[in-house]
Amino acid sequence: MTAEDKVKINKLPTGVPGLDEIVGGGLPEFSFNIIAGAPGSGKTTLAHQFVFANATPERPALYFTVLGESAIKMLRYQQQYTFFDSSLLSGSIRFINLSQVVLEKDLGAVLEEITKEVTKSNPAVVVVDSFRTMVRGSQDGMDLQAFIQRLALFLASWQATTFLIGEYAEDELRDNPIFTVADGLFWLRQTNERNSIVRKLQIIKLRGQASVPGLHTFRITEAGVQAFSRTFGLTGHLKDPPSYRRLCFGIPELDKMLGGGIREGDSVLVAGSSGTGKSVLATQFIAEGIRQGEPGIVAVFEERPQAYAERASTLGLDLETPQKDEKLTILYLRPLDLSVDETMHSILDAVQKIGAKRLVIDSLAGFEMALSPGFRADFRESLYRMIFALTGIGVTILSTVEVDESFIEFPFSTYSISFLTDDIIRLRYVSIDGQLRKIMVVIKMRGGNHAKDIREYEITDKGVVILGKRLTNYQGLISGIPVYSERSNAQKDALNDSEIERNS
Amino acid sequence: MTISPETRDLAQRLLTYEADADKRSTSMESATLRAYEKLRQCLVTFAGVASFQSIAMRALVLAQADVPNLCAVQVTAEGSLQGLGDVEFQTSMDKDLAGSQQAGEDPPDEAEAILIARILGLLLTFLGEALTLSLLRNAWPDATFDDRNSGNGRKA
Repeated sequence: MTAEDKVKINKLPTGVPGLDEIVGGGLPEFSFNIIAGAPGSGKTTLAHQFVFANATPERPALYFTVLGESAIKMLRYQQQYTFFDSSLLSGSIRFINLSQVVLEKDLGAVLEEITKEVTKSNPAVVVVDSFRTMVRGSQDGMDLQAFIQRLALFLASWQATTFLIGEYAEDELRDNPIFTVADGLFWLRQTNERNSIVRKLQIIKLRGQASVPGLHTFRITEAGVQAFSRTFGLTGHLKDPPSYRRLCFGIPELDKMLGGGIREGDSVLVAGSSGTGKSVLATQFIAEGIRQGEPGIVAVFEERPQAYAERASTLGLDLETPQKDEKLTILYLRPLDLSVDETMHSILDAVQKIGAKRLVIDSLAGFEMALSPGFRADFRESLYRMIFALTGIGVTILSTVEVDESFIEFPFSTYSISFLTDDIIRLRYVSIDGQLRKIMVVIKMRGGNHAKDIREYEITDKGVVILGKRLTNYQGLISGIPVYSERSNAQKDALNDSEIERNS
Repeated sequence: MTISPETRDLAQRLLTYEADADKRSTSMESATLRAYEKLRQCLVTFAGVASFQSIAMRALVLAQADVPNLCAVQVTAEGSLQGLGDVEFQTSMDKDLAGSQQAGEDPPDEAEAILIARILGLLLTFLGEALTLSLLRNAWPDATFDDRNSGNGRKA
């Protein structure tokens, strides 16, 4: 059978931002689906979003409500969501209550009632909420499996895409005839992690097309359910070919140390203790990008965007104008129950909106704190996925990380994440001539050669300024407590600053 | 809890609509009872018998505070009204009596409109205007409800 011979299954929009990506492009038309989960997990809201996204006057949606929540109460709350379009209730969406049939009759009568309404309305979408209540309420009469099979057959024949909504516990997943018959099984979870609540969605089953496996976080906002794919919505995106372009900091001596700048699409780690100028360096990186026509994003976790921009202005860097011109977005992310996927979604939205080329994450410690405790445990893995996804689309990432200053070792990061980064710039304090001065060294550049020099720098009203030549008269600079050692002029000549040839 | 003039007007429009329809039919039921039944059928399909019955009972209690004559009316388990015919008969008798004493004066049909207005008021409180009007459109497909303040209760 060739691809042309195969039946084409249309994919319907789910109406849930991020979910189409997870289910492989949309929900298969005429599929028979179950949305399962505990009370309050967002089942009804998800079904409503699907209904509002697909109902039309020609092919309306029938929403059968059973015992449990009254339709009046349900709609009172559901209409608060922005997706709720009350104009569709006049002809495109019908709510039908089956409580009386369920209470007084058996499953056969329920099937008869659904059949009657579906035949009358020719719906594109049918929802039964809550299906579980219906099953509990009807113990006699028609066998449950026979009922499910006949309902599924009937609705598929009538070309309706169906959702049964039910409160199920996870241990009910096995040996349940309902789940066997279903084409799609959506499981919504809500778990406590210390003081945070994390919502997760899993597509346990979806016939006819590949869905993204795993647990995807989701959030319920005024816009309804919003899902965040574990693949960050980049599954189908082509990666840009590798670039050999160098992105400058606008600090000539540092750019020289880096062999001309950071290679485009790299992930750079700027590590140092408090006050060494990590954020200043990051701000200069973003500001230089904007100056060169490369839009940027700054994800801040430890201060508000206004404060960040004001601090930049003290360095003579204007971050207000590029924000107005949509060349710069400063994202403030600090809800303390974020998932990396959600953070990534915000960043990706901003990347796509302004065509960002540079991204600053200031800082990784703040980022980690903004995550829910459960996600902090997977921070390295999540960071890996995020960096891989973003650099894959050509975004150059500069992350700052605070490291404890030690005089016996020279750590690059507290997260053991140096393997995730292409380039590392280390800043640190040293004690010289009775002063606490600052030095900078490029530890690693995956994409080419770099200077081996240890350079002294200062933070001035122009930002980071590298001073003079490298410090040749001291031994043990990276210990923080160097020892002075006088060198002859002949030795000094041999120790001129490294010349870096651009590795392109 | 008072009824807004707009809600009262909407109820009056439904009753006027039903009264006009009455002239074209042979139905023996009053306009109020027929308007109530249309609301009941529509809401029972939408929200179930229990939901409608509880709303109807609440509306009746509120209406009885406004019109003591309605104390004789009851809502059955199915949500139907019992005893409204007697109240309407009594109201009609009172009108006739008033007519003989004060010729030319036509007392308003407050008692008839008040129960419908109370039901509409509750729907507007719980569901908001858009959804309530959407339900009314289903119950009265030939009427127009685009503007609650409009005196025109019919499609052009």
